[in-house]
Amino acid sequence: MPDARAAIADPAVRAAYREWLLRIADDELVIGHRHSEWTGFGPDIESDVAMSSIAQEELGHGRAWYEQIAADDGGDVDRLAFGRAPREYRHAALLEQENDGWEYSIVRLVLYEAFEVARLRLVAASGHEPAAGLAQTLSREERYHGLFADTWLTRLAGAPDGLERVQAALDRAWPDALGLFESTAADDVLRRAGVLPSSPGALRETWVDTVRPVLEQCGLAVPPSAGAREGGRRGVHTAAFEPLLVQLTEVWKSDPEARW
Amino acid sequence: MPETTPVVAEDPEALADFTARVRAGEQIEAGEWMPEEYRFEALRLINMHANSEIMGALPEREWIPRAPSLARKMALTAKVQDEVGHGMLLYRVAETLGRSRDEMIAELVAGRARFHNVFHYPAETWADVAIIQVFVDGAAMQTQGALRSCSYAPYSRVLKRICYEEDFHIQLGLDVWRALAEGTPRQRAMLQDALCRWWTPIMHFFGMPDRVSPHTEKMLAWRIKVKSNEELRQQFLRKFVPIILEYGLDVPDPNLRWVEDEQRYVYTEPDWEELRRVGRNGGPKSAERLALRQRFHAQHAWVREAMSRWRAARADGAVA
Repeated sequence: MPDARAAIADPAVRAAYREWLLRIADDELVIGHRHSEWTGFGPDIESDVAMSSIAQEELGHGRAWYEQIAADDGGDVDRLAFGRAPREYRHAALLEQENDGWEYSIVRLVLYEAFEVARLRLVAASGHEPAAGLAQTLSREERYHGLFADTWLTRLAGAPDGLERVQAALDRAWPDALGLFESTAADDVLRRAGVLPSSPGALRETWVDTVRPVLEQCGLAVPPSAGAREGGRRGVHTAAFEPLLVQLTEVWKSDPEARW
Repeated sequence: MPETTPVVAEDPEALADFTARVRAGEQIEAGEWMPEEYRFEALRLINMHANSEIMGALPEREWIPRAPSLARKMALTAKVQDEVGHGMLLYRVAETLGRSRDEMIAELVAGRARFHNVFHYPAETWADVAIIQVFVDGAAMQTQGALRSCSYAPYSRVLKRICYEEDFHIQLGLDVWRALAEGTPRQRAMLQDALCRWWTPIMHFFGMPDRVSPHTEKMLAWRIKVKSNEELRQQFLRKFVPIILEYGLDVPDPNLRWVEDEQRYVYTEPDWEELRRVGRNGGPKSAERLALRQRFHAQHAWVREAMSRWRAARADGAVA
């Protein structure tokens, strides 16, 4: 795998870029894990199969980003994915929450996919290879995830008591979704160095412009824009993460040196 | 679904014609005339196969969250996804014989339907994933591989695709098997332990040795059954015992041996009472797995309702 950070000479910028790539990789790993919990339990067979595909793709994306990081670190991807302490993970709170009903998972998918598309576009536009090329490739799959999510949202919200259920899920997910845009010192470093052409704040505006019409067309009220639940990008996670991590790493940690 | 064959007086000429066609190796398409008993038996077989795919997802899916590498996690998700997809294909085939998928699923969830014995057992460690993918899927391959030449054309077609995928699962399982068999002493011990726990259910998988009964003969003549239970068990042992020995693991039956003169394996007779009990949903994990299915089925009642309303509205042209 080509080295994502080789072209960056300044160690501080390299470190910030690693931080940024780790956010993407961790977001994808954690959401892929949550999606795969639906495998075998979807509301119908077709959606079960579809959600399994989405899970596999997100896990695959996570792996692709870990490969970029590992190329520079000199480690292996599984050690990156499974071998870190909870505080070393950089995903946002939205992704680690339990699948609290199909409607919650669909709402989360709607919110996250819109974010993911905007973020990948940003990475692709950065022109910083090989990440830019990878972002372009992955965008093609994310498009279908978004279509699946939006279609389901419309159907659920159209059910007799569906709107209330979906609204409740949206209200629950929203502050966590705003946490996707949490900014740290790494963002400033990357912007000043010209590695990324935009800030989390600007990304958030793009995202709101995308999700607002989708939600409103379903009759949903977009919650207030204040009250983001942040911390994830700094390694501070909610209570949902520890049990997830324990389960995710249970077998691997039983013998990290073994080949599984 | 009722347990006993319906008694219907068939038109003797149509029946003779049907039997002659099947004997000649012809296949029956959906919608063609068939004796009620044939429909009943084919439906019973395919419905149970579909149920088994859906219930079979459960033991393996327990290890998706804990799979020990990113590659294994993706592969296991894909594998379980295949099984769920097989359920979809098979319910579709069963529907051509006159039952709706909703009805079959409701019956399964309520614990009133049967599913294959192996899916009533726990998957206790990561090594169980290897055993299920190699030996359970390997056992299923013998039965389903033989049924590819069955007389019901839609089932036969679907089985071709299913077997293609199952063969891939076995390859995938062999990769997990090899990693553990050639791994640390602890990994090897895990694998041996899993093999021991699964041995009896796998021997049970093919069912009791067939009694020579008019019923079995009819099933064979109609090609709803293609090989006898014992033929399939022997076929399985011939293919899979060498894998155990090749990796230096112990076959969990001290009496198992190859008899050259008879060209077959002899083995310790498994406890058939256990198979009967498990078949009536009385296995070690039957109640727990059915309860899980019930929980999600109830939780998703409103989602199904939302979907059927959406479809109805679409059919009425209310939704573009």
